[in-house]
Amino acid sequence: MLVRRCPWRSIQLHQLWCPRQIHTREAIHDKRWPGWQVIIGIEVHAQIKSRRKLFSESSTSRPGEIPNTTVSTFDSAFPGTLPTLNPKCVELAVRTALALNSKVHHQSAFDRKHYFYSDLPAGYQITQRYSPLASGGYLKLSKGDVSVGIQQIQLEQDTAKSTFDGLRRTSLIDLNRAGSGLMEIVSEPHMRSPEEAADYVRTLQAVLRCVGSSDGNMEQGSFRCDVNVSINKHGQPHGTRCEIKNLNSVKFMTVAITSEVFRHIELLESGCSVPQDTRGFDENKAETLKLRSKADSPDYRYMPDPNIPPLLLSEEYIETIRKTMPDLPDTTRVRLRNLGLSERDTDVLMAVDSGHEVGFDGELGKGAVTYFDSLAQQRDPRVVVNWMTHELIGQLTARKETFSDNPVSVEQLGELIDLVQDGKITGTSGKSLLKHIIANRSSSAPSVLARELSLEAISEDDNASTRAWCAEAIGALPEEAEAVRQGNPRVLNKLVGKVMQLSRGRADAQNARVVLEDVLRR
Amino acid sequence: MHLRVGGLARAYPSRSCAGCRARSFSTSHSRRSVIIHAGHVQSLNESTNALVSFSTETHNLNFHGPLSNLTVAIKDNICTMHLPTTCSSGMLRGMSNSVPRSRSNSITEFTSPFDATAVEFLKAGGANIIGKANCDEFGMGSLNVNSIHGPVVNPYQSPNEKSVPWAERERRSAGGSSGGSAAAVAAGMCDAALGTDTGGSVRLPASYCGITGLKPSYGLISRSVTFQLIFQKLMDSRWGVVSFADSLDCVGVLGKSVDTVKTVFDSISSYDPKDPTAAAPRTRDRAKASAESLLSTLDVNSSSPDLSSLRIGIPQEYFPFELNTTIVTAVRKVLERLSSLGAQLIPVSLPSTPYALSAYYVIATAEASSNLARYDGVQYGTRSPLLPGADKSKPDNVYAHTRSAGFGAEVRKRILLGTYALTADAFDNYFLQAQRVRQRIKTDFNSNFRIPNAQLSDPSPNPDGVDILLHPSAIRTAPRLDSDAISGLGPYLQDVMTAPASLAGLPAVSVPAGLAADGWPVGVSIVGQWGSDELVLCIGNVIERTSDKDNSNPNS
Repeated sequence: MLVRRCPWRSIQLHQLWCPRQIHTREAIHDKRWPGWQVIIGIEVHAQIKSRRKLFSESSTSRPGEIPNTTVSTFDSAFPGTLPTLNPKCVELAVRTALALNSKVHHQSAFDRKHYFYSDLPAGYQITQRYSPLASGGYLKLSKGDVSVGIQQIQLEQDTAKSTFDGLRRTSLIDLNRAGSGLMEIVSEPHMRSPEEAADYVRTLQAVLRCVGSSDGNMEQGSFRCDVNVSINKHGQPHGTRCEIKNLNSVKFMTVAITSEVFRHIELLESGCSVPQDTRGFDENKAETLKLRSKADSPDYRYMPDPNIPPLLLSEEYIETIRKTMPDLPDTTRVRLRNLGLSERDTDVLMAVDSGHEVGFDGELGKGAVTYFDSLAQQRDPRVVVNWMTHELIGQLTARKETFSDNPVSVEQLGELIDLVQDGKITGTSGKSLLKHIIANRSSSAPSVLARELSLEAISEDDNASTRAWCAEAIGALPEEAEAVRQGNPRVLNKLVGKVMQLSRGRADAQNARVVLEDVLRR
Repeated sequence: MHLRVGGLARAYPSRSCAGCRARSFSTSHSRRSVIIHAGHVQSLNESTNALVSFSTETHNLNFHGPLSNLTVAIKDNICTMHLPTTCSSGMLRGMSNSVPRSRSNSITEFTSPFDATAVEFLKAGGANIIGKANCDEFGMGSLNVNSIHGPVVNPYQSPNEKSVPWAERERRSAGGSSGGSAAAVAAGMCDAALGTDTGGSVRLPASYCGITGLKPSYGLISRSVTFQLIFQKLMDSRWGVVSFADSLDCVGVLGKSVDTVKTVFDSISSYDPKDPTAAAPRTRDRAKASAESLLSTLDVNSSSPDLSSLRIGIPQEYFPFELNTTIVTAVRKVLERLSSLGAQLIPVSLPSTPYALSAYYVIATAEASSNLARYDGVQYGTRSPLLPGADKSKPDNVYAHTRSAGFGAEVRKRILLGTYALTADAFDNYFLQAQRVRQRIKTDFNSNFRIPNAQLSDPSPNPDGVDILLHPSAIRTAPRLDSDAISGLGPYLQDVMTAPASLAGLPAVSVPAGLAADGWPVGVSIVGQWGSDELVLCIGNVIERTSDKDNSNPNS
């Protein structure tokens, strides 16, 4: 049963209409537009990576799915259907909010936004206009000491996809996407250049992927940006903003913003004012175009959705999510460095990790960092990271494979490292063993493979074999042996190499060195 | 098992009084009797227009279920897989407006791919669903005249015109919007019917047709689920009910007796066993416990019930200027009988009542404008082809054309009003204001009831409060279909007695209370605290049993 407190709602409305606090930052002087300040705010619609849709039991669809196959009666707005909130979507949105340092509200509510369009079967979209899931927060950009404020984060339904078939002059509707969960993440107008906007989008993508709430894929449409741009002379109040809709790559976004800034400057310098437009972006001409003016903007007739009770989230629930959610990139970086990893190794590991596939419903994917963490549980992190970055990733790269193709299980690589560390096989043998596993997609245990391939190291007390190989090496390289006898220690390395070659890497190099010295200096 | 298949005048129980319920049809499940019954139903329908589609086969899956001896009609805005669901709208029936009575053009009729939860429950209980009942378009109306299927004619024949055959009786409205459901029950075409009640759509037709109609607590016929103790999920049996105004819509039950209504209500208000997460919500249990503790102090089942611990509130605002005086007489008689059984009659005041109707119409039309947006001729609704040369440059024009052609006048009017109430300029003054009024109405009720509202977090008991409220169900008896009362503001005023309980989500039952001076049925409404559905049915039952004594003398 819905209990709506009207005065409270009206306060909410009031707050919504209040002018925002003006964010103060030091003036940035950009050589491209001297004297002008650029103000940018971004609204992101990120598809929630949940297995089911926001209010129905049907599956979310993947790119390339056959149209109109993952559609329930609710998604297609059949008369008599009712929404049921999917808790997984809530959980992922809460993760996102926490990652963006937002305040998750204990009570939020759903509203309907109305408009007629063929991609909206019900004639309204369920969203959170008056009482969003979370508000406030910030995202620290990767460059400069810049934090972009977050205004609010809300849950809402995605629409269907309509494609215009020019040949048949027909609009085709695919309801697969209808009713999927979206997070609308609204930033404060805190960005001051196209590059900062690009940084914000990339950093946000990384955060969403990291907490598993979204693919963050702009090209495939799971991450869509609307950008608000205004300009003003330094020290003057903000100018009139224009909204650029549906930008589908970071590159296009920076081009669109730059072109929009120049358009505003041109208008203002010729004595005109900037009209408050909603604009699109023409990729071929690299400029924005007018979609509609403010006067044409529709009245969406927002109304609290009477079918969905308020969403109540306890402090305990929010804390559980906070404790169990994956670490953010910054935290991971600090943690890895504290384990003694070099900056370079950390960079490699995290770069490889950022490409991992995001699992459904927040399940953690098999990224490089997770792999490293499992390996480093009872091992020296520095040894482990060496094996991963130099050997495993090195060999995969040489084969033009990525980490997601990695056939070596954590158990296999772990055992392999242990064999080398315990001296059961030599480092050289370990490397060839790893190569063998990757090349043959072998799932056998490294110890078994080492035996099969006769790669087991010669133990220190088995000096007989080492002595035999040493004798053989001296026989094969008489001049070098003589040089060592004459007291030239550097040539010894050549003999040790020969021993290693003869033993196919099984001999312990240190031991061979001792034996050779012993024989030749006697 | 008496089936009478003679002439209509004989077949229809001569309803010289509202109490002749026992003589309508019982149902047998032998194949022969089903066929005879079906034929008989069709002939009764000629004169009432109560049903708009008929089941061709029995869907009884459970011959031993609690409803296995009941025939039931389903209002046409409740989804069924085996019969079309037109909501009495040209939108869902196809737009052959010129022949409103032809029902054979099933090609364009909307048929749902699923059964409403309430229908599933009926089937599971063994009920025999005979067909779909006429109603006002999408439930919007109080007289069941806004229907693509044509108006429903009240089957009641007043004792004053005994000399004419039943089929030629005075043509009066059956009430709305569940007029077809009420008329089907009153005519003896079925034992019970499902209706929907948004602002009085079950209670008003029940009152006009002289039968019993229950509007349960909002959300009680429900599968209310709390999972992880965090998410509140309310998935009630409105699943499958085509929405008019979601925050008010309730599935209601109409029946020839309170017992029948209770039997059906008990079956459809149970939990859905298919839902593994179903748990009894605490609020429901709390409400039930309070109502039961009160019921245990009453002796209602014996032949001379003892109601001495029952406190009945008589709300003064429910006797407005517009109320027909002979209705007051009938209600007074009911009160006298209850008083003679020991009940305490207490005058109470619900001061926000005068604002209820306005608030109701703002909220209901606003929600309707939203809910009916889906009928745009793209996914739903028969698309009306544009005239040659029409401006197609804006999609809005194309939508407007279909929506203007497909919806009836009343629905168009309400969509426009509701759309206005939600526009940015009007939202505060209309929609929010109406929500504030709604809150005051709830507060009014809560401050008058002895049982606290189980939905409140810290309900404070009110020892001086009343247990039920009793008032007339309508301001008048059924109006003639050709009178002025069915046009202008008249139909909207019909809801003045019923809208407050809808706004507050409270259970209310209308039971027959004898006849007015014109010889037509009067209903009284019993309204209880949220969740005390059993109590209001119980008191309804007492009124029904005790009324049998004197209703043979309607004009005394």
